[in-house]
Amino acid sequence: MKIMRTKTAVISLVSGWLLLFGVVPILMLLAASFLTQDATGFFRLPFALTSYRQLFLDPGYLEVLLRSVKLAAITTICCLAVGYPFAWFTVRRARKQRLVILILLMIPFWTNSLVRTYAIRMVLGTNGLLNKMLLAAGVIEAPLKLLYTDTAVILGLFYLMLPFMILPLYANLEKLDYRLVEAARDLGAGLMAIFRKVIVPLSIPGIFAGCIMVFVPTMGLFYVAALLGGARQLLIGNLIQQQFLNARNWPLGSATSVILILLMTVMLAGYALVMRRLASRGQRS
Amino acid sequence: MGKISNIITSGLLAVACTALPAFAAEKVYVYNWTEYLPESVLQQFTKETGIEVVYSTYDSNETMYAKLKLIQKDGYDVVFPSTYFVSRMGKEGMLQPLDRAQLPNMKDLDPNLLDKNYDKGNVYSIPYMWGSTGIGVNSEMIPVASITGWQDLWKPEYKGKLLLQDDVREVFHMALKIKGYSSNSTDPKEIEDAYLLLKELMPNVLLFNSDSPRLPYLAGEVSLGMIWNGEAYMAEQENPAIRYVYPKEGANLWVDSYVIPKSARNIKNAHAFINFMMKADVAKTCVEENGYATPVLTALPLLDEAVRTNKTVFPDKEQIAAGEFQTDVGEALAIYQQYWEKLRAGN
Repeated sequence: MKIMRTKTAVISLVSGWLLLFGVVPILMLLAASFLTQDATGFFRLPFALTSYRQLFLDPGYLEVLLRSVKLAAITTICCLAVGYPFAWFTVRRARKQRLVILILLMIPFWTNSLVRTYAIRMVLGTNGLLNKMLLAAGVIEAPLKLLYTDTAVILGLFYLMLPFMILPLYANLEKLDYRLVEAARDLGAGLMAIFRKVIVPLSIPGIFAGCIMVFVPTMGLFYVAALLGGARQLLIGNLIQQQFLNARNWPLGSATSVILILLMTVMLAGYALVMRRLASRGQRS
Repeated sequence: MGKISNIITSGLLAVACTALPAFAAEKVYVYNWTEYLPESVLQQFTKETGIEVVYSTYDSNETMYAKLKLIQKDGYDVVFPSTYFVSRMGKEGMLQPLDRAQLPNMKDLDPNLLDKNYDKGNVYSIPYMWGSTGIGVNSEMIPVASITGWQDLWKPEYKGKLLLQDDVREVFHMALKIKGYSSNSTDPKEIEDAYLLLKELMPNVLLFNSDSPRLPYLAGEVSLGMIWNGEAYMAEQENPAIRYVYPKEGANLWVDSYVIPKSARNIKNAHAFINFMMKADVAKTCVEENGYATPVLTALPLLDEAVRTNKTVFPDKEQIAAGEFQTDVGEALAIYQQYWEKLRAGN
């Protein structure tokens, strides 16, 4: 009886929390996105589709969205390319070493990501650490222009997001039954074949989870583009921030957020669909 | 929600009070631009009055305005908006009328900076500092004599090299001035002309600065671009090669003022703070540390000769006459903002 009561209390606390800080704000956002901009307040009646019309008809906004998707996609691919071998390498270590690697991976989280972004700036700057080292080593003659480029933005995003790729992959690969790899080898499969036909198919849930965990937050990391890219080109995160703080067009800012939320929902639904397919295929075989 | 947080806050306060019985209760909440008020001045204020200063900062008028709009009560006590935001906030009933009886030091202010359009009779605001936005040049990289006006920033040789302020009005000021319009234009045609001109400038831009504009100059990231005169003055102290140029088309002139928001909770302390800031020795420290000009006339004789005659801090009459003070453009701001987004979304 007592356990039951505690359970109910915990569940209602969690769902109450989600309702209050998850569902209610999103509903408010949704409502605001259909209101009209107000010069002195934040929004006012009547309900209108102005914001959505503006978003879809103005080619500028579409370009911002496409640019953000492109940047997030590049970041995700880079994270996957580095994160996958890293996770595989980690899984293959002895238990103690694995623990050390995972702890080292977590330590940067103790520092706020904004502070770490500033740190990258000091490394990449014209008189920064990297240029100074390369100059001293005689590799280059004049300092490289690294900061305030797209490369710097991608590098920053890659650095911040890499652990979010590695951790789901690690969790997935750790569960992988290594006997299957050995069986494939016994049956004469080459290294490439084992990787392509055994390891990758078994780690698809991890790959999808990692990609989503990198792609989705990357779309919103507006300060990385602002600090490392010189804020020259807006990303969707910057656009939302500008609408709320500078332009005070809350309906447009809300509409942009709603579009972003929808985009992410579609991706998560796709993820769930793929997972269900995989699960049912697993049952059949 | 308000109730819950109130309960939590009062609970925490009760704990804090029993734990620290000798803790000073008097406070003033100051909300100011970043790097715009020397730390030593705040300490001196607390020492003289026993009032503790709770200090927070913002990086644009728009951010400050949006935040104040959200606060209904128990907000900041002293805020430092620029002219056009003083008039806007005054009109919208966001400001508390000032009580002259509590501000005796006002007698020392330069009458030329009082009773202006944006706040007739200084009902809501008192000027804190004034300055300009002009051109910053690193003379080691670019000969200073080759830069005389805003138009020079458009030269193709500066492709991917410029720093611009991350401020819509300041960036449009350049283009409006080159076109010979007022930088407070509300005419959509003129604003569009300025936008088309700025579009040509975009390939030359390396970054829109969102922190202290002097830092990229000092770090060697940029050698040319916009900068506030005070930031240029501060940069010059560290690297004498960095110079400030008053553009011939006219610099952007601005005044930042003290105001007390309607939502302030310590109105008496806010007055005490503003009055303290108008003391000659305090104003002198502010000029020396910030590099902007002060309206406190009694502070001028106290200043070092080198600072008083420094043209970056105190421009000539002709340079002031060529420039233009920012005023509120009202509804037209939305037009500026739309073009501003287009500039940043495109290319």
